[in-house]
Amino acid sequence: MGVLAALLALTAAPGVTAQEQPAGKLTFTVGIINDVDSLNPFIGILAETYEVWALMYDYLVGYSQKDFSPVPQLAESWEVSDDELTWTYRIRQGVKWSDGQPLTAKDAAYTFNRIMKGTFEQTNYGNYVGNIEKVTAPDDATLVMTTKEPSPTMLRLAVPILPEHIWKDIDEKEVSTYENEKNVVGSGAFRLEERKTGQFVRLSANKSYWGGVPRIDEVVFRVFNNADAQLQALKKGEIDFGYDLDPAPFNSLKSTPGVTTVAGDSASFSELAFNTGAALDTGEPIGDGHPALKDKRVRQAIAHAVDKQAIVDRVFGGYATAATSVIPALYQNLTFQPDDGEALNFDLAEANRLLDAAGYRDSDGDKVREMPDGGRPLRFRLFSRQESNQSQQSVQFIQGWLRDIGIATEVKVLEENRLTEILGQGEYDMFEWGWGVEPDPDYQLSTFTCGARSYKQGGDILANLSDSFYCNPEYDKLYEQQKVTIDPARRAEIVKQMQRMLYVDAPYVVTVYYDDLQAYRSDRFTGFKPQPDPGGAVLFHYGIYSYLSIGPPQATAASGDGGGGVPIVPIAVGVAVVGAAGVLLALRRRSTQDERE
Amino acid sequence: MAAISTRTFRPSAGQRRLAAKLVGAALSLAFVLVFNFFLFRVLPGDPAKNLTRNRLVPAEQVQVLRESFGLGKPLSQQFITYVGDVLTGDLGISYKFRRPVSEVIAERIWPTVLLLGLSTILSTVIGLWIGIRGAWRRGSVFDRVSLGASLTLYAMPEFWLGILLLMVFGVGVEGFPGLFPTGGLSSPNTELASPEGIVDVARHLFLPCLTLTLAYIAEYALVMRSSLLDELGEDYLTTARAKGLRDALVLRRHAVPNALLPTTTLIFLNLGFVVSGAITIETVYSWPGLGLLSYEALRTPDYPLLQGVFLLFSAAVILANVLADLLYARLDPRVRTG
Repeated sequence: MGVLAALLALTAAPGVTAQEQPAGKLTFTVGIINDVDSLNPFIGILAETYEVWALMYDYLVGYSQKDFSPVPQLAESWEVSDDELTWTYRIRQGVKWSDGQPLTAKDAAYTFNRIMKGTFEQTNYGNYVGNIEKVTAPDDATLVMTTKEPSPTMLRLAVPILPEHIWKDIDEKEVSTYENEKNVVGSGAFRLEERKTGQFVRLSANKSYWGGVPRIDEVVFRVFNNADAQLQALKKGEIDFGYDLDPAPFNSLKSTPGVTTVAGDSASFSELAFNTGAALDTGEPIGDGHPALKDKRVRQAIAHAVDKQAIVDRVFGGYATAATSVIPALYQNLTFQPDDGEALNFDLAEANRLLDAAGYRDSDGDKVREMPDGGRPLRFRLFSRQESNQSQQSVQFIQGWLRDIGIATEVKVLEENRLTEILGQGEYDMFEWGWGVEPDPDYQLSTFTCGARSYKQGGDILANLSDSFYCNPEYDKLYEQQKVTIDPARRAEIVKQMQRMLYVDAPYVVTVYYDDLQAYRSDRFTGFKPQPDPGGAVLFHYGIYSYLSIGPPQATAASGDGGGGVPIVPIAVGVAVVGAAGVLLALRRRSTQDERE
Repeated sequence: MAAISTRTFRPSAGQRRLAAKLVGAALSLAFVLVFNFFLFRVLPGDPAKNLTRNRLVPAEQVQVLRESFGLGKPLSQQFITYVGDVLTGDLGISYKFRRPVSEVIAERIWPTVLLLGLSTILSTVIGLWIGIRGAWRRGSVFDRVSLGASLTLYAMPEFWLGILLLMVFGVGVEGFPGLFPTGGLSSPNTELASPEGIVDVARHLFLPCLTLTLAYIAEYALVMRSSLLDELGEDYLTTARAKGLRDALVLRRHAVPNALLPTTTLIFLNLGFVVSGAITIETVYSWPGLGLLSYEALRTPDYPLLQGVFLLFSAAVILANVLADLLYARLDPRVRTG
């Protein structure tokens, strides 16, 4: 009975429930599904980690809340020389590191030089400095960077600026295992207080932040290992924010009092990709892709056979938008829209007509078309991903539509790791996957260049970025051109032209732009800011706008006690099942007992 | 010559047994060490590629990363380096966390041992008690109900039982508040070494521990019950009663010690798995233990971490087996001679 008393004491322990804050501190708790991997900016890679760094550190240039255009951050202003090779940034004055030292242009120069001269340091940021020749800080307020070629990405350098006086003592060898968890010095709106691996990351507000003082005192990122528990914690009020939710739990949150849901446009798309003729970057063919898919008329026919709206409605529960291009529609200035004449709309008759016209006919009456020479049937391997329900469901629909146009598919569900390997070797015909796209289009567009195909190293074929093996010299020419075009409008024109090529040549059928489903306790916090505005997600985007603006709601409406959201029926059923089974077993035992006696 | 050496040292049967056990254990461990290396390298996936997927990392840089992991070298050379490092106590650097494997494991081992250790002790004690009481009063209401209930709990998927308890006691149902946290090991802003910190951890520990205890009671109850039932018909119990011993004493001094043998094996088998954690429960309650760590390591795949974790798991199982063997010999004289 002493045990029972101790248990009662446990449940009644004062001041330790997660909602209650010590001494009036206002803590905003975000439930994260992936633990932060490493807080060292040269090591970590996860989206959750980038979110934490954005709070701890500043960047030179930020992304506007409205439309992702470059906005001043540590750099108050910038200008480029007439030859478009020298960039001069005016660094904000009066900014202090969390240990009181002033932040100057020298810190910024140090950060970039360290990456340029380092090897391990290049892993995360090498791509940003590849075109930079020299970085100097002539005085505390001025940063000068010289590039080898004109480069529009000079306003998109997503490199956290680090304090030289701390990092100069961490040498090249140590940096690859440095934790960056104790006494971390940063300049951001929040400061790292404590990190417990597998549990949480806690940050406190920087009350002298140059970009405005946050209204909340602390941010806690709490790790959940499964989405169900995260959902329950949000319903209970143990956490204030959840993201990356699935449609069903998201819908159930809509009716939870005190919770507000946001289906935010996100910069991600799903695609059906083709093996357009696998080859190495040297042009040497590899793999065993089906020859019919090298023919863009077959790929276009398949594009006509994919009902994107059906995928939106039936796979994503409406929380997605039918898509056209590899640059998502939320990047309004860059995304491409086909003209009426060239649009590959859902039209099974048109798809059949295209295949007939191209000579792919069903000559033996087995409802599967053959190659024009009457030989090999159009029977494709179609891979989906084990990790994603949406992937598997989409592929089932696609299989059905393709059957209607005389194309047979063998569907296989693969682990993402396994699929990555197979793609690199070119041993596939079609698969379903997706990408998250950065505000700068360069990276996404680079995945379709000839040079992004697999390469050979010591006899092994190693995967690069391309997973369609698309290779078009015209496209590559435009890619090189956009890479050196600084004027945003001119660059956008080129980028759209490239997307048109991808649309028409169809290495991908881009199916949907899916939403990031987020929800928060609006009975505790209001003032979230979407990006892009309107329509975007409110956290986990390109900026920390919401962290600076949220605070307690003005009129404190009487909110529920946070509990009680759980329907009692399934639990009652569960309890009843256990009880009934126990009784049944007891009865069974009794009957055998009786026989024995 | 040989005769002299046997005369100077003649090990007893017990010592020979012990030596054989230890040699066997060392061989098993050596086998695991070698086997793990090749096992994990069969896993699909290139760690360098997976760690840089969908990011702005040029191909040359991925290659640099691959080299820094030592993956560029021939497999035979990697193997020699690995064995050499392990023998000198160096488990390597985790690819994913970029920290020494021993450090990563050390951080995760105590939550696992705390949870699994406590629930193993609780389920053993309660299970044995149920088993003993049930067997002694076979067919009684207590026997039937407790056996039925524990069997049902045993048959329930742990994951489901966990979610159920989480919803009832963590979130709360209508009219019944959620008393315990929905997951984690401790709350932010608490000092673990203070009284509040201990209470906080205990609150977090309650539900996962309850789930595991409920799930494993039946195992012990059943084994204890059936082995005690076997003993109940034995003549020595009749003799004990004839000597005039009270019922409780007959049970405690004569029946239970003999019936404990199979249960001991079971306890030690389970003790071996205390460090490997319980992935399902660690997942439901977001418990930062080793079970989850090994799962995370599999996804990369993080070879050094996988090797370290599985070496630890195997070592624990092997050690528990050796201990069980030795203890068995103490408990049962027949084993010693045999």
